[in-house]
Parts: sequence; structure tokens; C-alpha cells
Amino acid sequence: MGHSIAQKIIARAAGRERVGVGEYVNVSPDYTCCQEIYWPIHKRHMQQIGVSRIARPEKVVMVVDHTTTAAMGSPYHRIHRELRDFARQSGLENFFGPGTGLRHLVLTERGFARPGMLVFSDEPNIASIGALGALNVPVSWEVVATLIGDENWVAVPKSARIELKGAFPFGVLVRDLAQVINRDHGNTDRLLQTCVEYAGAISSLSLDDRQSLLACAFHAGADTSVMQVDETALDYVSQRAAGRPYFVFEADPDAQYSFRATYDLQALSPMVTVPPGMNTVVGVEELRGTRVDQATIGSCASNRLDDLRAAAAILKGRRISRHVTMYISPGSREVYAAAAREGLLEIFIDAGATVLAPGCNTCWGYLGVLNDNQVSISTHQFNFQGRNGSRSARVNLAGPYVVAASAVAGSIVDPRPLLAERAESP
Amino acid sequence: MSIVGRVWKFGDGVCGDDGIIQFSRINDLGSYDEPALKAMCFELVNPDFPKQVVAGDLVVAGHTFAHHSHPHVCVALKASGIAAVVVESCDSGFVRKALNIGLPVVTCPGVTGLVQPFETLEVDLEKGEVRHPASGANLPVRPFSERMLGIVAAGGLIPFLKLQYSARAT
Repeated sequence: MGHSIAQKIIARAAGRERVGVGEYVNVSPDYTCCQEIYWPIHKRHMQQIGVSRIARPEKVVMVVDHTTTAAMGSPYHRIHRELRDFARQSGLENFFGPGTGLRHLVLTERGFARPGMLVFSDEPNIASIGALGALNVPVSWEVVATLIGDENWVAVPKSARIELKGAFPFGVLVRDLAQVINRDHGNTDRLLQTCVEYAGAISSLSLDDRQSLLACAFHAGADTSVMQVDETALDYVSQRAAGRPYFVFEADPDAQYSFRATYDLQALSPMVTVPPGMNTVVGVEELRGTRVDQATIGSCASNRLDDLRAAAAILKGRRISRHVTMYISPGSREVYAAAAREGLLEIFIDAGATVLAPGCNTCWGYLGVLNDNQVSISTHQFNFQGRNGSRSARVNLAGPYVVAASAVAGSIVDPRPLLAERAESP
Repeated sequence: MSIVGRVWKFGDGVCGDDGIIQFSRINDLGSYDEPALKAMCFELVNPDFPKQVVAGDLVVAGHTFAHHSHPHVCVALKASGIAAVVVESCDSGFVRKALNIGLPVVTCPGVTGLVQPFETLEVDLEKGEVRHPASGANLPVRPFSERMLGIVAAGGLIPFLKLQYSARAT
């Protein structure tokens, strides 16, 4: 019986020839990745265990990404300082302070996410690193185990396979695909406790889009997600690896999959996920005219350069509606700088949007908090009640075309007419 | 290792962050306000739960239980005295987060069709079996590994690691 990519990555990290699905195995990760929010919890746990030393400092990637700016009255100014001090004392070379970007992007941009790497992290959405053939094992605050001990257990997951075919039609983005996948599987058991392997027409997707797609797999129930790497991915990795090793694994032709599905990208259209669940996903026309108070571009599923380009394609030369507040959070300093060089930031500012420092920002409700009964349209990852402030606020999720077009219109609209206008008069 | 308790039963699709707890009422994600978490536990789904749950009770629930859960969700269950959670299905992250505070979660297809609210259920983690005394039925579940059993026995990951590290130091 053949093996999946996840099995091969876990076998390598376990120092084994092969591992079977369902087996409990001990592994030594290539990296442990964590952020600042749980630092007080990690600190307390280390004190309780009686260990103050980091086992393998070179394997730790610690990023301040949730709170790029510590607000008055928040505990984060203290946490930022403590983390910096701890990183220095512990010899953590891979500590990245506020504004560097989200862990997801730091891992890829700085060459930590390479094919065959196994990463324990504190978040399931970091499955985005699977776009470069690395495997994220989300363990929440349990990252403390590998911070101090360099080993932990995993249950080898089943693998599911989603084949893509074709290419996106005009006005459709990867978020539309991701939201349709969540609609189809999120309230079923099909992808639960699996690693989703994406295959097929991957090369028609940009690396940014691949990461966005994988970052959403968790909302369809998957534990993690990974992709076969192609030349585009390997070119990117070779530029960033800085001589560090990597191991390209392919799924065996007779690998076992617990579930298979195929998506024809050509058949998709702009979609909106309606709160408060991930499974009610409708064509944008069904919500046409829904007034919005806030529009946000950001989150680990839509904060890369391609996402900002998509928003700018709509916003260029246009103004957002007077009653809309729009926040844009670039995913990293690298993305921020590239957006500046391309003139995207100027487009956003001229349109009346506010560009925030690179970070998670609005997605977890730290910034841009919604009041009672307010409505937002957003590229965020979550839409349950109370995620972004009041429980009576409603967070609609969509791709950056829909979000930007709705910000201009002041209500939810199909972005394609605005894009078509642009195409006709460049 | 066997756990016996009275069952609180829930349906399918109960969200962790806005179902078991209320994320909008968590002021600080870096700490656990256990009395507040206990008071809000399942309040949105069954307001009787926080008032009537007693230590040692079990939770039985349907599919995709506790999807979208911060660690506070598991702390709320544990602070309420829940001794084990038996579900039709859930993600692996929830199993780990719960295990790490000494709360065993087992996936047991068919359990919601078997057990009625407030009946007694028995969960054998070592053997991998859920037993329903009222009907005499036994359902198989995946047994916990030795390490997982050790974590449950120690009362969670942190006391488990403390035992390991203090043994190494001596």
C-alpha cells in the first residue's frame, strides 16, 4: 500500500522508513512556531514544569503577529518586552518582532517552510506552509513540549485528496474556491482528522493563492493540508532556503485516501460566506444590496501580495463609500514593501482605506472592533458571532474583489462589472 | 482506565468559541478565568448546564463537536467538572487541547443513537470501549496510547512533563 505526503514527512521526522495511518509516533520537529498571545501561558507552564531552557533554540520560530501595536490598557506592551528579553536570553535567533508579519508568511519568506519539514505550531491555519511541501501539525499551547523537549507525539492522519482542474474565470479568486470547499465539507466528517492533499491544476495557482487555499482547510475540518511542490514552489524555496536542506516527497500512486473530490475552477463564481457559520456560502448576487459598515482585507488566508493587487484592481481611482470604514492588513513587511513599490498603498490611501501594520489585527477582533448590529464584509478567516466584537455584528466573508467592490458601493456587490469597466478603459 | 458518569447530551455542529464558550466575553487570551468560563459553559446551547452540571458528569455530542475552539473551550469543560467527552466526530486539535488539561475526548460513531440524556455511560480509554449499561451495548473506540494515558493519569500535559523532567533531574 502506497504512502501519502503526510505519512512520508512524519516518517522522516520520526526517523522511520514508514509509518501507518492511525499510528501514534514520536517525532522530532524541524521547527516549532509560536506567537505572543499565549506567552503568559507558556511562561507559567515552564515555571510549573521547572524548566527554563529551550531545547533547540535554532528550531524555534517566535513571532509577534497578533498585536503589532500594543494598545493602552492591554497586557501586550509587557508581553512584547518579555518575549524580546526571553528570546535574547535563550539565544532564539528566529525571534521576529511586531510588524515582521504573520507566522504563516514569516515561515515561508524566511525559508523555514521547505519541502519535507515538519512544524509544530500553535495554529491550524499555518497549514498554508503546505504550499511549499512542509507539514503543519497544529497543537495550540502544546508547543511548549517541543520548545523544551524537541520531541512530541503525532497520530498519523488519514489523507484526503482534492483535485483541481481548469483555471479561474474572470473575476473569481482562490477565496471563492476555498469558501465553496468549506461549504461542501465543513459540516461533515469527510475531512475531519485528515491531511488534505491538493493535486491537479495546482500550477495554475500562484504561490500566494496556494497558501490561501491551504490556510482555509481547517475550516472544512481538516487537521492540516499539503500540496505536491512544482517548479514554481521549488524556485521560491531555493531562493530562501539559504543552504538549509529539504526533502521533496511525492504521494505514491497507490496511496490510500479516505476521501476524494474534484473541483473545476472554471465553474466557480464570486461567493460570500454568510455568518455565523462557514457552511452557508452563496453567490454574491444573493446578498446584493446588503449594507456594510466595515470592509477588511487581511487574515492568513488573504493578506499576500496577490490579495492586495486584487483589492487595488478594484480601488484604483475609486473612493470607498462614505459610511464604510476599510482596513487593510498586509501579511508581512515584505508584502507591505512590495505593495509600496507597486503603488498599491497609494491606491488604498487615495481610496480612503486605512493600511495597518503587518499583522493579524482585525481578524481576531483586536483592531477594527464591530459594534452592535454592524455588518462587515471581510477576507477574514472566521465569522462566528462575537469574533470581531459584538455578538450581534455580522461578518460576511469573501475574496478581496468582493470586499473592495462592496466597500466602494457601500453594500455587497458583484465585483465583476467594476473589473470589466477597468478592463475596457485601462 | 475507566470513567463512569452521567451524560449531558448535545447535538451536531456545536461551535467551541461561540457555543461552548463566548469568545466575545474572553478579555485576555493569555489567561483562564475559570469561574467565568464555567459560568458561560454551554450557556448558549443549554442554559441549565452551568447551573446543574456536577463534577464527574460526561458530555456526549454529535458531529464536528467544538469546531473553532480556543484552549479556553476545554478549560470551560474541565472547570465545569466534565470527566470525559464522547462525540460522533471532532477535529484532532480539540482532542489534543482537551487531553493536555487532563480531559479525555473520544470519537465514538453511533454514541448519540445509543445514549439518552442523564443516563450513565462508561468510557474505557485503555481498552478502547464505550459501555452503555442501560442497553448493555458496547461501542469500540480507538484506545489511547500509553503516553496519552499517562497524560490523563497525571492530570494533564504540564504535570506529566513535570514528572518526566523531575525524574530526569534526579
